[in-house]
Amino acid sequence: MMFMTALHHLVVGLVAGSGVIMGICAILAWLSSYISNLESSKTTLDRAAYVASIFTLIVIPLAMISGYYSSTNSGGAMFYNKFLFSGIAFGFTSSYLVGRVRFGPELWKYSSLANLQMVSALFALTSIIILGSIGSKITLGESTLDILPFWPDFMNSIVINQWFSLFLVIIGLISVVISLRSSSMRFSLND
Amino acid sequence: MKSRIIALSAILILLLATSSGVANPGGKGDSNRDYTCGGSCHGDPSLSSASSAIIDVEMQSTAYSSTTTEISVSITNLDTSDNGLVGIFLLSSKNGNGDNPEDHGWTIIQDPNGGSSNYVEVVSSENQATVSWVLLAPEDLGVKEIYVSIHHGSYYNHNNKAFIGETDAITVNIEPIPENYPTLADGWTSPEERISGDSSTITVRTVNTESLMVYWRLSGESQSHEAIVEMISEQEWEVSLPATLGDTRIEYQMVATMGDFSNRMPWLSMGTSEPYFDGTSLGANLQSISFALIILGFMVSLQSWFAPRGVRKIIDNTAEVEESITDIQETSIPDSDNEYWSRLIKSEENPGWLWDPIENEWVADPAVTPGGDV
Repeated sequence: MMFMTALHHLVVGLVAGSGVIMGICAILAWLSSYISNLESSKTTLDRAAYVASIFTLIVIPLAMISGYYSSTNSGGAMFYNKFLFSGIAFGFTSSYLVGRVRFGPELWKYSSLANLQMVSALFALTSIIILGSIGSKITLGESTLDILPFWPDFMNSIVINQWFSLFLVIIGLISVVISLRSSSMRFSLND
Repeated sequence: MKSRIIALSAILILLLATSSGVANPGGKGDSNRDYTCGGSCHGDPSLSSASSAIIDVEMQSTAYSSTTTEISVSITNLDTSDNGLVGIFLLSSKNGNGDNPEDHGWTIIQDPNGGSSNYVEVVSSENQATVSWVLLAPEDLGVKEIYVSIHHGSYYNHNNKAFIGETDAITVNIEPIPENYPTLADGWTSPEERISGDSSTITVRTVNTESLMVYWRLSGESQSHEAIVEMISEQEWEVSLPATLGDTRIEYQMVATMGDFSNRMPWLSMGTSEPYFDGTSLGANLQSISFALIILGFMVSLQSWFAPRGVRKIIDNTAEVEESITDIQETSIPDSDNEYWSRLIKSEENPGWLWDPIENEWVADPAVTPGGDV
């Protein structure tokens, strides 16, 4: 479907752009606690990362849907890996957003929370870079990350049985609900 | 009456079925076919016309029995449909059946697309196409005939005709193989393709070969490289060719030697295929969602674990404000005021009032509310 292919290329560009903004701004916001020159920009960086994370969460599912219906869908291991890394990128981006919503802009004052947010943003950024590289491998046959000596083999993938994947979805859903509920209960106990 | 309905229905179905077999403008794919697909619709004079293409065939006029030989076909002045597709037949007769060269003792080691078919479809470029077959000559001695035929569409083709071109017979004299002539073993065919990234060796079987050298190059390259060849048993060799990725084709040429005599064989080619993969789209979606949820759950748990007490209350600063107000109230009473309040004397006659003996005045007791309650 030609329209979907063009749309996929557009949306992938948006994912890469917003993902990089989120990652870089979050890392700089974290660094601002250690580098005095960045201190004055902390609020701006925090807000930029916050908005970019919301936008990334909107465009990642669009990229997955358009990619599924595009002509680049070869159905092979590399395409499977694209789905997996989309899920990983979505997981870390949503973790960053949830953390930012729960604790507000003050979270950067607490080193442990700031480190956790930085790790979430860094992993999301890395996943998006890998996603882009896999896409480039599929369409162009090469990617800029080919210069790395340890580039993993994306010609293979870890395929889990569908029923087990469904079981993991349920487990994941329950763990998210329990994590959010237990944290809210803990806070109400602290009140 | 019932039998008539059945008969009429059968005739009607047969008549309707004819419309689906008119032509194949998108091609039918590589396969083994007889001349004009065995006299199909393309052979019907009302549905076909002569092609304007010029077909040139290059082939050695002499070949040794059971040795490799190459036939190169160059087609020019092609007027194809917009997809540029051309079907090319390699034939040993034009009878309409039993026309495959393999029916007359030839063995197709490799067709132009890497397979072993006598009919291939290629996409022409700039109104021309060049292809070649690698064959093993028949064991039977004598003169053999080879034909090349093509069919294609046309850009201006309102009648949906097939355009057919063919060559005259190309004669090849099959001579007895010289004694101890080094060549490939009868029945050996080149592998059509390897899995992407696969660097495993290919096995070559020969006859009368003392040593084997193999050169390889990527399709489109002119410079060749020597491959590592290892003899694993009598007249059986393992050739190490580099792994290929994507849709790359690798070409290789074998030189079999016996004593002072060397037989340089035609270039063969091998494609690259995607590895078998059993993942499904649904599985990928489910696995992706599960990864996202598990990561989110884990990170939210860590956030709760690392959250310091009261961080949740950062926005709600009521406690801090109340505490600060109390502090202000406490600190707003200076020491001099303490001396002032300590000199005041309570009076039982005037509850709620204190007597200041220095200033000689009554002062309202702050510990008593205006209503008189303490």
